[in-house]
Amino acid sequence: MQKALVATVLTIALVFLLLTLLIVLGKAWRELRDGRRRARRRVLEPLVLKYAHGSSPSILSALGGGVGAGDRVVVETILLDHVSRVRGVEHERLCRALDELGYVDRFLDALSGPRWWRRAEAAENLGLAGSKRSAKALAEALSDPVSEVRLRAAKALGLVGGRAAVLPLVNALAEPNRWSTIRIADILTNMGREVVAELMDAFPKLNAHAKLAAVDILGRIHSLDAVPWLMSRLSDTEADVRARAAHALGAIGVVDAAPQLRRALNDAEWPVRAMAAKALGRIHDAEAIPELCAALRDREWWVRANAAEALKLAGPMGIDALEGMLADADLYAKHQACLMLEDAGILDRHVAQLAGSGAVRTTAEAVVTRFIQAGQVSRLRELAATHSELSVRSELDRLLGPPVPAPEAP
Amino acid sequence: MGVAKRILVAEDDPVTRRFVVSLLEERGYEVLVAENGEHALEAATLARPDLIVSDLVMPYRDGYEVLRAIRNDDRVKHTPVLILSMRDHEEDIVRGFEQGADDYVVKPFNAREFVSRVRKLLDPRRA
Repeated sequence: MQKALVATVLTIALVFLLLTLLIVLGKAWRELRDGRRRARRRVLEPLVLKYAHGSSPSILSALGGGVGAGDRVVVETILLDHVSRVRGVEHERLCRALDELGYVDRFLDALSGPRWWRRAEAAENLGLAGSKRSAKALAEALSDPVSEVRLRAAKALGLVGGRAAVLPLVNALAEPNRWSTIRIADILTNMGREVVAELMDAFPKLNAHAKLAAVDILGRIHSLDAVPWLMSRLSDTEADVRARAAHALGAIGVVDAAPQLRRALNDAEWPVRAMAAKALGRIHDAEAIPELCAALRDREWWVRANAAEALKLAGPMGIDALEGMLADADLYAKHQACLMLEDAGILDRHVAQLAGSGAVRTTAEAVVTRFIQAGQVSRLRELAATHSELSVRSELDRLLGPPVPAPEAP
Repeated sequence: MGVAKRILVAEDDPVTRRFVVSLLEERGYEVLVAENGEHALEAATLARPDLIVSDLVMPYRDGYEVLRAIRNDDRVKHTPVLILSMRDHEEDIVRGFEQGADDYVVKPFNAREFVSRVRKLLDPRRA
């Protein structure tokens, strides 16, 4: 019995000893390997950078004719580290080196490997390597069963660029159940002008969800190439598309779109009217002032708010129009004008002018009086209590009259 | 050929630092390095470089602090400073210029464009 116990204890101790030894040896091996890699990096990195800054057509000569098996990981790390930090010619040379040394082929092999984290890493590396020939494999990786691989493949396609990369990403827009539309839209937006033609071509085949994303992306890219197409979308059969197209034209700042945007203020659907008003504000269209004043009477709050903002952005003529709307028969239009004039600091300016004289003072009193008649007095009462000039406070008190007492509780 | 112009590179990311150093040395400049804002200030006042290339996000003192300290130090206040940063927001860039930066380059950067900007700052007449 005692012998069995001793044997058990010794066995356990031996197992622990062996495990400890394995851990120590493993750690020592990793330390040695990392130390060697650091030492090799110190030697190889200047050679790689010399190639990157120079004009030699091949990296092989810079590395003495090739890369030894022991240095492959080191050179790969150096190239990937630097390729993500630079743009321009140096970036292209480092990408070419990754291909020339066979790393792109290795990443392509790993992209179809059994371990998902290796596939994800390979996809990311292919993006960094900017290898156009990997676009097909990356497009196939968009169907990977693991979402992380799909996402990294999508990002990689965004970095690789070119028609072969754009099409699968545009198609991914149409699968909101598999993809975050926002992420794909960000990737396409970052790709810039090269996606414009593809998005416009693919548009008729996209589903409703993807169509809206496509119009948004074109607005965010700010490409003038998309302007005629976006203007034609203002007469699309789908109201949401018309609204997004108006928004995109405003974001790009297309002055030529003003007549169509003014017409869109009369669209049957309020989101289109709201976005048209917003766009007219962004392009500072003074000619739209009468239509924007009419839009202040719209039955939808969002349209009124955007129209008021647009009038403010139209400059002094827009501000004059807002002041004119203070006398409008429409209560909503009047209130919206009050809110915008207050928000833009125009009310405060007129209040300060109450201390003056002549025409300026007369105008100021007229504006303040219209605010009072519209029942928008909270800012005025605040100024009547806090304004730095006594004469202004007195004038405001006179115009406001005694405060209306709160109704007594029953 | 005259004496090589001296450039101080203040950058905490070792990979970027090595890239920038290699790029500038390749063009014949004498390059000093600092791994954080504190070292950058010391090196700037001791070595009196002809140009300072500084990151914004660095340990101990960030690039804005370094810039302010340089502009308030009579010994180095006229030294041109080029900010090399990942921060690409308008407000960061504007703040950089407001604090006294002479140029601003966003990472990832175009190496040849960066070298042109360095040349311009070192010899504005030639650019």
